[in-house]
Amino acid sequence: MNFQKKHCVAMLLAGGQGSRLMVLTENTAKPAVPFGGKYRIIDFPLSNCVNSGIDTVGILTQYQPLELNEYIGNGQPWHLNRSHGGVQVLPPYAKSSKSEWYKGTANAIYQNIPFIERYDPDNVLILSGDHIYKMDYAAMLQEHMKNDADCTIAVRTVPIEEASRFGIMNTNPDGSIYEFEEKPKVPKSTNASMGIYIFKWSILKKYLIADEEDPNSENDFGKNVIPAILNAGHRLFAYEFQGYWKDVGTINSLWEANMELLGEEPEFNIYGDPGKRIYARNYAMPSTFMSKKAETDNCFIAEGCEIYGTIKHSIISTGCTVAEGALVEDSVIMPNVVIESGAIVRHAIVGEDCRISANAVVGGAFPEGEAKQIAVIGKNKTIEVNQCVKPGEIC
Amino acid sequence: MTTMGIIFANIYDSSLGDLTNKRTMASLPYGGRYRQVDFSLSNMTNSGIRHIGIITKNNYQSLMNHIGSGQEWNLELMEGGLEYLTPFSTGNNAQYRGKLEALHTAMSFLEFSKEEYVVLVDSGVLCAMDFRPVVQAHARSGADVTVVVKKDVCNGEKQLDLAVLEDENGRIVDVVCDHCPDENYIAGMGIFVMRRDYLMQQVADAVAHCKYRLEREFLVPKFHSKKLTMNAFHFDGVALYNESTKEFFDNSMALLKPEVRKGLFGNPDLTIYTKVRDEVPSYYGEDAEINDCIVADGCKLEGEAERCILFRGVQLGKDAEVKDSIIMQDTIIGEGAELKYVILDKDVTVPAGAKFKGTKNHPYVVKRGTKL
Repeated sequence: MNFQKKHCVAMLLAGGQGSRLMVLTENTAKPAVPFGGKYRIIDFPLSNCVNSGIDTVGILTQYQPLELNEYIGNGQPWHLNRSHGGVQVLPPYAKSSKSEWYKGTANAIYQNIPFIERYDPDNVLILSGDHIYKMDYAAMLQEHMKNDADCTIAVRTVPIEEASRFGIMNTNPDGSIYEFEEKPKVPKSTNASMGIYIFKWSILKKYLIADEEDPNSENDFGKNVIPAILNAGHRLFAYEFQGYWKDVGTINSLWEANMELLGEEPEFNIYGDPGKRIYARNYAMPSTFMSKKAETDNCFIAEGCEIYGTIKHSIISTGCTVAEGALVEDSVIMPNVVIESGAIVRHAIVGEDCRISANAVVGGAFPEGEAKQIAVIGKNKTIEVNQCVKPGEIC
Repeated sequence: MTTMGIIFANIYDSSLGDLTNKRTMASLPYGGRYRQVDFSLSNMTNSGIRHIGIITKNNYQSLMNHIGSGQEWNLELMEGGLEYLTPFSTGNNAQYRGKLEALHTAMSFLEFSKEEYVVLVDSGVLCAMDFRPVVQAHARSGADVTVVVKKDVCNGEKQLDLAVLEDENGRIVDVVCDHCPDENYIAGMGIFVMRRDYLMQQVADAVAHCKYRLEREFLVPKFHSKKLTMNAFHFDGVALYNESTKEFFDNSMALLKPEVRKGLFGNPDLTIYTKVRDEVPSYYGEDAEINDCIVADGCKLEGEAERCILFRGVQLGKDAEVKDSIIMQDTIIGEGAELKYVILDKDVTVPAGAKFKGTKNHPYVVKRGTKL
């Protein structure tokens, strides 16, 4: 069957376990973790795709995919329900010769070469499902084309003292990359890879096949494929991204990214004009009710909530109830949580469908500047009356 | 037992003045994020009705914009699904003059349908209702027409399109229309069930005799001349009649009562759907004081609000003070503005420091898009 050719196909890596998010990813893939009151992490790359004019997105899933699959559905919330292309979930599948799980990021793409080939694309965009940011991939693609690059890697400037935690791209004045160092002890530059790559498909395909044939390879883009392409003398360019970007792979970074939505001039401005918004699946909730007793100070409150208590510097997601006399401070409350009267929740992340019973205490307060230990309650847990969950405790 | 639905989108358009000047009654915003038609449409899809016609007369652009293909209600414009029955001008009916004539223009829609029963719904009464028991009761009763009725609405003052009086056995003994009946009467909710073939036959016959109005020229006279049997189905949930500006204001404020919210939105099997707007959650600033309010998504709140309905995307400036008001979508209230008993339609701009006040019985209505 003949398909219309696509200029660029996006492949979204969403199969990781996200074990550093602990209980939050016990039964859920990391990209399906709720964020910012009504979103899930995967809404960000998906919305970026459609806002950048990329209408074909393969989502590679492997770990706990049920919730993620249901969430993505036919892609309609992101306007990706297309008759040709659109969003497609790509789990590993049995083949006549060799069947296996996705062994690494590069192997996941390798196993889906037939999917990509159906669209005969010029370029393939590789994305991660655990980053919070707004980015115009079309601008990056334009740079990629202008440079006639074989591979373009999005980078952002990090403080030099943190550079040794990242993959660092050392570049020439024209932006071309002459060296790639994974977590260098003595970094030469501060261009950290964001894990967002655009490849010429013809080049990537060749190196994916070669990588697969190498028994010593870990089948990873950063460790294997990109160094191989660089060492072979191909044209690699860095594309500098200026806006907000956060890897929310840890409890602390997930909490921080949520908090960075708050304030009069938030660090991450999630607002956008139509066509530049972040889209999410919608669950038809009524408007929120704020009672006479409700007290709010610098917070995000989504739809379908009933608020009778005090909310300070927090994110309250869809469908939550906060009873009279309860206090929520410096916390992320995920969807459909009930917080009963007299309960106190501070510096905590409370998973979906939890109940914090009357007079329970979750987490604690930390003075300004002190390292914060975030208490975490996994999905669907009940904290009993008067129970105490200590700061930093995970349950 | 198969059922289809017909929604009348504009029946009371003139009675809400500026609020329905540029939109149909059905697309009147309600409760922070809904349009009135959301309730009728959601009730139908929640009742398993998959084939729905929406009869429109004037100003139906905003209605079509809101409903689109019906996908938020799990409908689609393909086979079955949703059909817009816009005015179809022929030599003998340039504009219809009543529900019967409107149904007459929709005759081919009825004719090519296969369902046994039709539920007809106005857009003026808000409720969350499962129509299945109504259709079942209708079939059991053997009556020609079932009207859904609500107790404790008639008070001698409120005008109703239709009201019935029952004897002690629950049999209808009187039917009146366009009247303010006393509290012995039971108010119609603008919801009727009939067999499709019966409806088509009656519509054709009535229009042939120059009768256009469903209640006044068909139901009431036929009932009194004993040519039509009528059955009443009592609805005991929350039913809000939004047929005047005052009623609209009071019914909006009724959402501040938990029992009303529960009655309209509390049953997950009767979820009320609406158009998705991809707004961010509402932001409550450091100085925001939001007490006893309904707040939709996408708001940026820095000022004070008390007993208000704040629709999607409302911006409330610092030190602004808004009380007992309905503020519709994307309206911007400047710093230090003071408002009481106002209804600000969509996209209104209130400059900093402005003061406007209506009264409880006559809320001050500001037209859509006005820059005060």
